[in-house]
Amino acid sequence: MTTETLSPTRERSRTSNRLRAMMTQENLITFVVAIIVAGAVIVPLAVLFVSSFKVLDPLGWDTAWGFGNYVEMFTDRIIPKAFINTLIISSGSTVLATFLGVSLAWINARTNCPGRDYLEPYNLIPFFLSPFVGAIAWHNLGEPQTGLLNNLARDVLGIEGAIMNIDNIWGVIWVTGIFFAPLVYLFVVGSLRRMDPSLEDSARTTGAGLVRTTMTVTLPLVMPGILSGAIIVFVTSAGEFGVPFKLSAPYGWETLTTQIFSKAVGDDANHYLGAAMSMALGIITVFLIWVQQRYIAPRSFTTVTGKGFRPNVLDLGPWKWVAFGYNLTFIAVAVVLPIVCLIIVSLHPVWTGKIVWADLTTINYVKTLFWWRPEAISAATNGIGNSLILAFGGASIAMVMALVISYMIHRTKGFGVRMLDFLSVVPIGFPGIVLAMGVLVTYIQTPIYATLWILMLAYITRFFPYGQRNISSIMLAISEELDQSSRMAGASWFTTLWRITIPLLKPGLFAGWILLFIIFLRELSISIILFTTGTETLSVGVYYLTNFENEPLTAALSMAQTVLLLIAIYAFRRFAGREALTA
Amino acid sequence: MTSNSDIKVSIEHLYKSYGAETAVKDFNLDIAQGEFVTLLGPSGCGKTTTLRCVAGLERPEAGEIRIGGETVVAPEKDIYLFPEHRNIGMVFQSYAVWPHMTVFDNVAYGLRVRRASGAEIKTKTMKALELVGLDHVADRFATKLSGGQRQRVALARAIVYEPDVILFDEPLSNLDAKLREQMRDEIVRLQKEVGITSIFVTHDQSEALVMSDRVVVMDKAVIQQIGDPEDIYANPVNSFVANFIGVTSLLEGKLTARSGETCEVEVPSTNGGAPLRLRGTGAPAAQTGDRIFFNLRPEDVQLHLDAPDVSDGQNVIEGKVIDTIYLGSFLEGRVSASGHEIGIQIDHYENLRPDQTVWLTFRPEHGLCLTD
Ligand SMILES: Nc1ncnc2c1ncn2[C@@H]1O[C@H](COP(=O)(O)OP(=O)(O)OP(=O)(O)O)[C@@H](O)[C@H]1O
Ligand SMILES: [Mg+2]
Repeated sequence: MTTETLSPTRERSRTSNRLRAMMTQENLITFVVAIIVAGAVIVPLAVLFVSSFKVLDPLGWDTAWGFGNYVEMFTDRIIPKAFINTLIISSGSTVLATFLGVSLAWINARTNCPGRDYLEPYNLIPFFLSPFVGAIAWHNLGEPQTGLLNNLARDVLGIEGAIMNIDNIWGVIWVTGIFFAPLVYLFVVGSLRRMDPSLEDSARTTGAGLVRTTMTVTLPLVMPGILSGAIIVFVTSAGEFGVPFKLSAPYGWETLTTQIFSKAVGDDANHYLGAAMSMALGIITVFLIWVQQRYIAPRSFTTVTGKGFRPNVLDLGPWKWVAFGYNLTFIAVAVVLPIVCLIIVSLHPVWTGKIVWADLTTINYVKTLFWWRPEAISAATNGIGNSLILAFGGASIAMVMALVISYMIHRTKGFGVRMLDFLSVVPIGFPGIVLAMGVLVTYIQTPIYATLWILMLAYITRFFPYGQRNISSIMLAISEELDQSSRMAGASWFTTLWRITIPLLKPGLFAGWILLFIIFLRELSISIILFTTGTETLSVGVYYLTNFENEPLTAALSMAQTVLLLIAIYAFRRFAGREALTA
Repeated sequence: MTSNSDIKVSIEHLYKSYGAETAVKDFNLDIAQGEFVTLLGPSGCGKTTTLRCVAGLERPEAGEIRIGGETVVAPEKDIYLFPEHRNIGMVFQSYAVWPHMTVFDNVAYGLRVRRASGAEIKTKTMKALELVGLDHVADRFATKLSGGQRQRVALARAIVYEPDVILFDEPLSNLDAKLREQMRDEIVRLQKEVGITSIFVTHDQSEALVMSDRVVVMDKAVIQQIGDPEDIYANPVNSFVANFIGVTSLLEGKLTARSGETCEVEVPSTNGGAPLRLRGTGAPAAQTGDRIFFNLRPEDVQLHLDAPDVSDGQNVIEGKVIDTIYLGSFLEGRVSASGHEIGIQIDHYENLRPDQTVWLTFRPEHGLCLTD
């Protein structure tokens, strides 16, 4: 076709061709998917934003538009303090978690600490367990009167009074810091392990000792990873509900999350004020995540050279036993001690702080797990069933969604691709409790409210990005040519997807699925906002027991959850690698 | 050898193994002040291990190393100094330039560790950077430099505090060919200029021959030969060294007779033809009937297209051309004789066809007989 022969009709058909080209399947599908995801992610946040400007009149009858909620946040008796407490807790936990995470990662990756090949999985366990359950365990360990450790100190060491009191803001920092240490660990251990050892060797031969080398070369080189980890810990701690709810709120230290909770449910519920507080929390966390994604993550130094690589580690000499002891202490404090304490407490009819061998009983497990028995507590027994449904169903749906979205982002060029890319980062910036408030105010008058579906919707919306990142990182690694060569060999688009792409993605799909399964099985801060009678989850059951029943019953259900999680962790270890976590 | 007081680095009976595998075995070497010594050998022969023992990055099982008269490691005497206490400089294959520091800070690091004054740090660092031609990028971050520039930074960083000895572990092998030659000459110039004692590890024989005062050839954890480049090239002590340094055709045969310097060697045919009877020199201790490795360098072989007329005791081999490659200034080829392959190198173009019959001649003094 040459230009001279272009007739007006040709011209017209060309334009319509272009239009038709834009209406390709690819464009349509990505556009539709983007709209659906946007609906799930943006609508609740938008409604949350709008609701935060609705002010409830003092009688609770009517609403008016205005900034009243934001004013009240500053003038209220409790909220400003809660704000400050949240800042203190997040900062403290970040410092503690960063110190623990970096030191443990360094010991495991860069030194000849004994047993470092076996310790890592145990160092990571707290990452998978529920911090809420951790708080319950530590309450039973460190409460001044009934705490196991305090009683041991009195009985065995003959100490008067208590050696510790966990029920305050420092206790929250302690438990949160320990539980989020693995997050920092995961952010730095990879780059520490892959670091070219001659970077350190050259500092040594240049005249720097071990400490100076570590401080001026090793740690600065992984600083972007440390900062990323620290920001994530800060944000996660700020959105953490269970630990302050158990350890500090009952004793006068409210946080933003416990305040949002009390505005969402309970006698003085005020969803609009809750929405405003959620907005405040969300803006802080989104800003920090944005800084991390935009400025810190891309800064990481290339310290891997590949050539001339010689895996060698620092010889700590006799200090290696100190490092070993330090690591064992962490595992004991973070994993063993809490679990042992829960087991002990769960076997007592009532908990007074002392082990009474004669009274040991399994009644607590019967009451919390055996739903067919008359003495069963339904809020607890409902939890296991609901959580398993949510975990299996939610993880499966989320992974299918993640697969579709990743595929679109990396293999198509339709309209919605950039929007999809953006949408799959947004939920990471919002704490679960904030998103849950959005979902609550959006769907409270629809039929899905008070069903498991609303929980499933919120779970998936909040957490599908984790699965999506897992798949995307693999998809980026699989070269597009692999796909294209299959198609050139004559295979159709679908055959290629089914025969080539999906099998290559299988490990990533599975790792992502188990990760989501674990997250959903222990989820608290979304569930606590959205549950109703009958849709209690495991963590909600634990909340119910600790709030309305006694510690032994709470410990029993906590143990049941912990055992389920440990099984899932084992499966994760078996079938997926550490890489799946840092994606 | 140099006198005792001139010895800067001394390695005695060094042993190092990893598990069951011996990486270095009974290594002995004295290095004089200002000398440039190369450790040369194939991959895995223990060069890096030796160097890292000197640096203190690896702890040997036995032996003793002294630097500048001070014992830095001697397992039998329970002496071990950390790398930072040895006053050495080291340049690594992977550059190991710290990406989170500027070029200036990289180079100044050793001076800062040694608590030099601010003014001293400034002048010495800038001088070292001038020496490697990088004073104009002092404020740049190391990540913004090319491979060659990074290696110069590493070099400046290792010499700035005037260490007793500088250790190089294949510093050129990550660079491309052209840059490698340039850096090679620069290191030699710098070493002569600063007069610093150097140990250089490489598996590239041409690098070793061009750069060094002395070459230490290693194989399988053991030193094979120590000598200056000419000596190693002209008088290899065994066929490993002969083969590793330069190119040789290696023919295995038996000593049939000896008259003075000259050995008569019979190399059995592998294709049913007549055996090769060759005259060479060397192997003074060999008896008649002993196994002999007959080494012939391609550049010592003359090529004839017609049967040559030999009267002056030269060896003549008749063979068939296998293949040739023309490399611009010269031509390399392989000739098959009684089933053995013999390399040739001629400095003019010759139109040789495969299977064409040719004659090779060489003088007995070019046929090096070795017993192992
Ligand atoms: N950290 C280690 N652990 C186990 N074996 C090692 C270690 N380092 C070196 N070796 C072994 O010791 C032997 C000598 O290694 P070395 O690195 O000294 O060789 P090299 O001569 O430097 O080789 P290359 O030219 O490949 O660098 C090799 O067989 C190697 O496999
Ligand atoms: Mg080496």
